[in-house]
Amino acid sequence: MPRRHRARQEPRTGRRAQRPKDVLHGPRGHRGDAFRCLGCRRDVPVRALGTAHRNHCPYCLTSRHVDGRAPGDRGEECRAPMDALTLAVRDDGEWLLIHRCRACGTLKANRPAGDDHPLALIRLALRPLADPGLAHLTGVVPGT
Amino acid sequence: MSDHLTTDRTDPTTAFDCPSCGTSSAGGPRDHCPQCLHTRHRDSADPCGAPMAPLAVAVHGPGDWRLIHRCTACATLTSAPVRADDHQVALMALAVRPLAQPPFPLGLLGRI
Ligand SMILES: [Zn+2]
Ligand SMILES: [Zn+2]
Ligand SMILES: [Zn+2]
Ligand SMILES: [Zn+2]
Repeated sequence: MPRRHRARQEPRTGRRAQRPKDVLHGPRGHRGDAFRCLGCRRDVPVRALGTAHRNHCPYCLTSRHVDGRAPGDRGEECRAPMDALTLAVRDDGEWLLIHRCRACGTLKANRPAGDDHPLALIRLALRPLADPGLAHLTGVVPGT
Repeated sequence: MSDHLTTDRTDPTTAFDCPSCGTSSAGGPRDHCPQCLHTRHRDSADPCGAPMAPLAVAVHGPGDWRLIHRCTACATLTSAPVRADDHQVALMALAVRPLAQPPFPLGLLGRI
Protein backbone atom coordinates (compact mmCIF):
# COMPACT_ATOMS: atom_id res chain seq x y z
CA MET A 1 0.00 0.00 0.00
CA PRO A 2 1.37 3.43 -0.84
CA ARG A 3 2.29 5.49 2.18
CA ARG A 4 0.98 8.99 2.34
CA HIS A 5 4.31 10.31 3.56
CA ARG A 6 7.56 8.42 3.29
CA ALA A 7 10.24 9.21 5.88
CA ARG A 8 12.92 11.02 3.91
CA GLN A 9 16.62 10.88 4.72
CA GLU A 10 18.48 14.17 4.63
CA PRO A 11 21.63 13.41 2.61
CA ARG A 12 23.93 15.67 4.67
CA THR A 13 22.94 15.10 8.24
CA GLY A 14 21.49 11.62 7.89
CA ARG A 15 18.64 12.84 10.04
CA ARG A 16 15.07 12.07 9.22
CA ALA A 17 13.14 14.91 7.65
CA GLN A 18 10.40 16.30 9.87
CA ARG A 19 6.95 15.00 9.08
CA PRO A 20 4.79 17.51 7.29
CA LYS A 21 2.23 19.10 9.61
CA ASP A 22 -0.71 18.68 7.25
CA VAL A 23 -1.04 14.92 7.82
CA LEU A 24 -4.67 13.90 7.58
CA HIS A 25 -5.80 11.76 10.46
CA GLY A 26 -8.46 9.94 8.50
CA PRO A 27 -7.79 6.43 7.17
CA ARG A 28 -5.37 6.15 4.28
CA GLY A 29 -7.23 6.31 1.00
CA HIS A 30 -9.87 8.46 2.67
CA ARG A 31 -11.71 10.41 0.02
CA GLY A 32 -14.16 12.22 2.24
CA ASP A 33 -17.20 10.04 1.73
CA ALA A 34 -15.67 6.54 1.42
CA PHE A 35 -12.65 4.47 2.47
CA ARG A 36 -10.94 1.47 0.92
CA CYS A 37 -11.31 -1.57 3.21
CA LEU A 38 -7.96 -3.07 4.30
CA GLY A 39 -9.53 -6.53 4.37
CA CYS A 40 -11.53 -6.94 1.16
CA ARG A 41 -10.42 -3.77 -0.73
CA ARG A 42 -14.00 -2.69 -1.30
CA ASP A 43 -14.94 0.98 -1.19
CA VAL A 44 -17.01 1.58 1.92
CA PRO A 45 -19.15 4.69 2.42
CA VAL A 46 -18.27 6.48 5.66
CA ARG A 47 -21.88 7.07 6.60
CA ALA A 48 -23.43 3.99 8.16
CA LEU A 49 -26.98 3.09 9.04
CA GLY A 50 -27.66 3.42 12.75
CA THR A 51 -24.18 4.57 13.80
CA ALA A 52 -22.57 7.98 13.85
CA HIS A 53 -19.08 6.61 13.40
CA ARG A 54 -18.38 3.63 11.11
CA ASN A 55 -15.25 1.84 12.23
CA HIS A 56 -15.38 -1.39 10.23
CA CYS A 57 -16.25 -2.75 6.80
CA PRO A 58 -19.88 -3.94 6.55
CA TYR A 59 -18.88 -6.77 4.15
CA CYS A 60 -15.87 -8.44 5.82
CA LEU A 61 -16.03 -6.59 9.20
CA THR A 62 -12.32 -5.63 9.06
CA SER A 63 -11.40 -2.51 11.01
CA ARG A 64 -8.25 -0.45 11.54
CA HIS A 65 -6.23 0.27 14.69
CA VAL A 66 -6.62 4.06 14.85
CA ASP A 67 -8.43 4.69 18.14
CA GLY A 68 -6.76 4.83 21.54
CA ARG A 69 -8.74 4.29 24.73
CA ALA A 70 -11.88 6.13 23.67
CA PRO A 71 -13.90 5.18 20.56
CA GLY A 72 -13.32 7.70 17.79
CA ASP A 73 -10.40 9.47 19.53
CA ARG A 74 -7.96 8.55 16.71
CA GLY A 75 -5.21 8.50 19.34
CA GLU A 76 -3.42 5.34 18.15
CA GLU A 77 -0.30 5.29 15.98
CA CYS A 78 -0.45 1.57 15.04
CA ARG A 79 -2.89 1.87 12.09
CA ALA A 80 -2.65 -1.83 11.17
CA PRO A 81 -5.75 -3.80 10.07
CA MET A 82 -7.91 -5.26 12.83
CA ASP A 83 -9.61 -8.55 12.02
CA ALA A 84 -13.06 -9.41 13.34
CA LEU A 85 -12.21 -12.09 15.91
CA THR A 86 -15.46 -13.07 17.56
CA LEU A 87 -18.83 -11.88 18.84
CA ALA A 88 -19.92 -11.26 22.41
CA VAL A 89 -23.32 -10.47 23.92
CA ARG A 90 -23.72 -7.43 26.15
CA ASP A 91 -25.80 -7.55 29.31
CA ASP A 92 -28.59 -5.73 27.45
CA GLY A 93 -28.59 -8.40 24.74
CA GLU A 94 -26.82 -6.38 22.03
CA TRP A 95 -24.05 -8.04 20.06
CA LEU A 96 -20.49 -6.77 20.38
CA LEU A 97 -17.95 -7.27 17.63
CA ILE A 98 -14.47 -8.07 19.00
CA HIS A 99 -11.59 -6.92 16.78
CA ARG A 100 -7.93 -7.96 17.10
CA CYS A 101 -5.07 -5.96 15.64
CA ARG A 102 -3.02 -7.93 13.14
CA ALA A 103 0.18 -6.09 14.16
CA CYS A 104 0.05 -5.53 17.92
CA GLY A 105 -2.69 -7.93 19.09
CA THR A 106 -4.77 -5.22 20.79
CA LEU A 107 -8.41 -6.21 21.29
CA LYS A 108 -11.32 -3.78 20.82
CA ALA A 109 -15.06 -4.15 21.28
CA ASN A 110 -17.26 -2.39 18.72
CA ARG A 111 -21.00 -2.18 18.16
CA PRO A 112 -22.09 -3.76 14.89
CA ALA A 113 -23.56 -1.23 12.45
CA GLY A 114 -27.10 -1.51 11.11
CA ASP A 115 -25.88 -2.39 7.63
CA ASP A 116 -23.23 -4.97 8.59
CA HIS A 117 -23.70 -8.05 6.42
CA PRO A 118 -25.76 -10.53 8.52
CA LEU A 119 -24.04 -13.53 6.94
CA ALA A 120 -20.62 -12.16 7.89
CA LEU A 121 -21.83 -11.78 11.49
CA ILE A 122 -23.37 -15.26 11.58
CA ARG A 123 -20.19 -16.78 10.12
CA LEU A 124 -18.25 -15.15 12.95
CA ALA A 125 -20.74 -16.40 15.54
CA LEU A 126 -20.31 -19.96 14.21
CA ARG A 127 -16.50 -19.97 14.27
CA PRO A 128 -15.92 -21.33 17.78
CA LEU A 129 -18.55 -24.02 17.22
CA ALA A 130 -17.10 -25.08 13.87
CA ASP A 131 -13.55 -25.32 15.24
CA PRO A 132 -12.29 -28.58 16.78
CA GLY A 133 -10.39 -26.69 19.52
CA LEU A 134 -12.65 -27.62 22.39
CA ALA A 135 -12.93 -31.23 21.25
CA HIS A 136 -9.14 -31.52 21.24
CA LEU A 137 -8.93 -30.08 24.73
CA THR A 138 -11.52 -32.45 26.14
CA GLY A 139 -10.31 -35.46 24.16
CA VAL A 140 -13.76 -35.80 22.62
CA VAL A 141 -12.94 -35.69 18.93
CA PRO A 142 -15.92 -36.22 16.62
CA GLY A 143 -15.74 -39.57 14.86
CA THR A 144 -13.49 -41.27 17.40
CA MET B 1 -5.25 -6.73 45.97
CA SER B 2 -1.49 -6.10 45.94
CA ASP B 3 -0.67 -9.75 46.68
CA HIS B 4 -2.71 -10.73 43.60
CA LEU B 5 -0.77 -8.28 41.52
CA THR B 6 2.55 -9.70 42.60
CA THR B 7 1.51 -13.36 42.29
CA ASP B 8 3.58 -15.10 39.63
CA ARG B 9 1.00 -16.95 37.58
CA THR B 10 3.72 -19.04 35.90
CA ASP B 11 4.63 -20.68 39.22
CA PRO B 12 2.88 -24.08 39.17
CA THR B 13 2.91 -24.27 42.98
CA THR B 14 0.85 -21.08 43.27
CA ALA B 15 -2.89 -21.55 43.55
CA PHE B 16 -5.20 -19.29 41.55
CA ASP B 17 -7.53 -17.46 43.93
CA CYS B 18 -10.65 -16.41 42.03
CA PRO B 19 -11.67 -12.77 42.54
CA SER B 20 -15.28 -13.66 41.62
CA CYS B 21 -16.34 -17.02 43.12
CA GLY B 22 -13.53 -17.37 45.65
CA THR B 23 -12.42 -20.82 44.49
CA SER B 24 -8.74 -21.56 45.05
CA SER B 25 -7.44 -23.70 42.18
CA ALA B 26 -4.09 -25.51 42.16
CA GLY B 27 -2.46 -27.11 39.14
CA GLY B 28 -1.07 -23.89 37.66
CA PRO B 29 0.05 -22.09 35.63
CA ARG B 30 -3.43 -20.64 35.35
CA ASP B 31 -4.71 -17.47 33.75
CA HIS B 32 -8.25 -17.72 35.05
CA CYS B 33 -10.60 -19.57 37.39
CA PRO B 34 -11.47 -22.99 35.88
CA GLN B 35 -14.90 -22.85 37.54
CA CYS B 36 -16.36 -19.44 36.65
CA LEU B 37 -13.69 -18.36 34.12
CA HIS B 38 -13.08 -14.97 35.80
CA THR B 39 -9.60 -13.56 36.19
CA ARG B 40 -7.87 -10.46 37.49
CA HIS B 41 -6.51 -7.60 35.37
CA ARG B 42 -2.74 -8.17 35.52
CA ASP B 43 -1.59 -8.80 31.96
CA SER B 44 -1.68 -5.81 29.65
CA ALA B 45 0.01 -2.48 29.17
CA ASP B 46 -1.89 -0.93 32.07
CA PRO B 47 -3.05 -3.61 34.57
CA CYS B 48 -5.43 -2.19 37.21
CA GLY B 49 -5.84 -5.34 39.32
CA ALA B 50 -9.67 -5.40 39.21
CA PRO B 51 -11.63 -8.59 38.44
CA MET B 52 -12.17 -9.43 34.76
CA ALA B 53 -15.32 -11.19 33.56
CA PRO B 54 -15.36 -13.74 30.70
CA LEU B 55 -16.81 -11.98 27.63
CA ALA B 56 -16.48 -14.40 24.72
CA VAL B 57 -14.72 -17.38 23.25
CA ALA B 58 -12.53 -16.75 20.20
CA VAL B 59 -10.64 -18.91 17.74
CA HIS B 60 -7.18 -17.47 17.07
CA GLY B 61 -6.26 -20.32 14.72
CA PRO B 62 -7.26 -23.94 14.08
CA GLY B 63 -7.65 -25.67 17.44
CA ASP B 64 -6.62 -22.54 19.36
CA TRP B 65 -9.53 -21.52 21.60
CA ARG B 66 -9.10 -18.35 23.61
CA LEU B 67 -11.12 -16.83 26.39
CA ILE B 68 -11.69 -13.09 26.00
CA HIS B 69 -11.91 -11.19 29.29
CA ARG B 70 -13.15 -7.67 29.97
CA CYS B 71 -11.99 -5.74 33.00
CA THR B 72 -14.91 -4.81 35.25
CA ALA B 73 -13.17 -1.53 36.19
CA CYS B 74 -11.31 -0.21 33.12
CA ALA B 75 -12.97 -2.25 30.29
CA THR B 76 -9.63 -3.44 28.88
CA LEU B 77 -9.92 -6.66 26.83
CA THR B 78 -7.39 -9.50 27.10
CA SER B 79 -7.26 -13.04 25.75
CA ALA B 80 -5.80 -16.24 27.16
CA PRO B 81 -5.76 -19.88 26.00
CA VAL B 82 -8.47 -22.12 27.46
CA ARG B 83 -7.32 -25.10 29.50
CA ALA B 84 -8.40 -28.73 29.42
CA ASP B 85 -9.75 -28.46 32.98
CA ASP B 86 -11.75 -25.26 32.40
CA HIS B 87 -15.47 -25.71 33.02
CA GLN B 88 -16.62 -27.10 29.66
CA VAL B 89 -20.27 -26.13 30.01
CA ALA B 90 -19.34 -22.57 30.97
CA LEU B 91 -17.11 -22.34 27.88
CA MET B 92 -19.80 -23.73 25.59
CA ALA B 93 -22.39 -21.39 27.09
CA LEU B 94 -20.16 -18.44 26.19
CA ALA B 95 -19.51 -19.80 22.70
CA VAL B 96 -23.21 -20.24 21.83
CA ARG B 97 -24.42 -16.97 23.40
CA PRO B 98 -24.36 -14.87 20.20
CA LEU B 99 -26.40 -17.50 18.34
CA ALA B 100 -28.73 -18.06 21.29
CA GLN B 101 -29.36 -14.30 21.54
CA PRO B 102 -29.24 -12.94 17.97
CA PRO B 103 -30.02 -9.21 17.71
CA PHE B 104 -32.11 -9.88 14.62
CA PRO B 105 -34.42 -12.82 13.78
CA LEU B 106 -32.29 -15.53 12.16
CA GLY B 107 -35.25 -16.48 9.97
CA LEU B 108 -34.65 -13.19 8.19
CA LEU B 109 -31.51 -14.73 6.66
CA GLY B 110 -33.65 -16.95 4.45
CA ARG B 111 -34.74 -13.83 2.55
CA ILE B 112 -31.26 -12.45 1.85
ZN1 LIG C 1 -13.97 -5.34 3.86
ZN1 LIG D 1 -2.32 -2.34 16.54
ZN1 LIG E 1 -14.19 -18.36 39.92
ZN1 LIG F 1 -8.54 -3.05 34.44
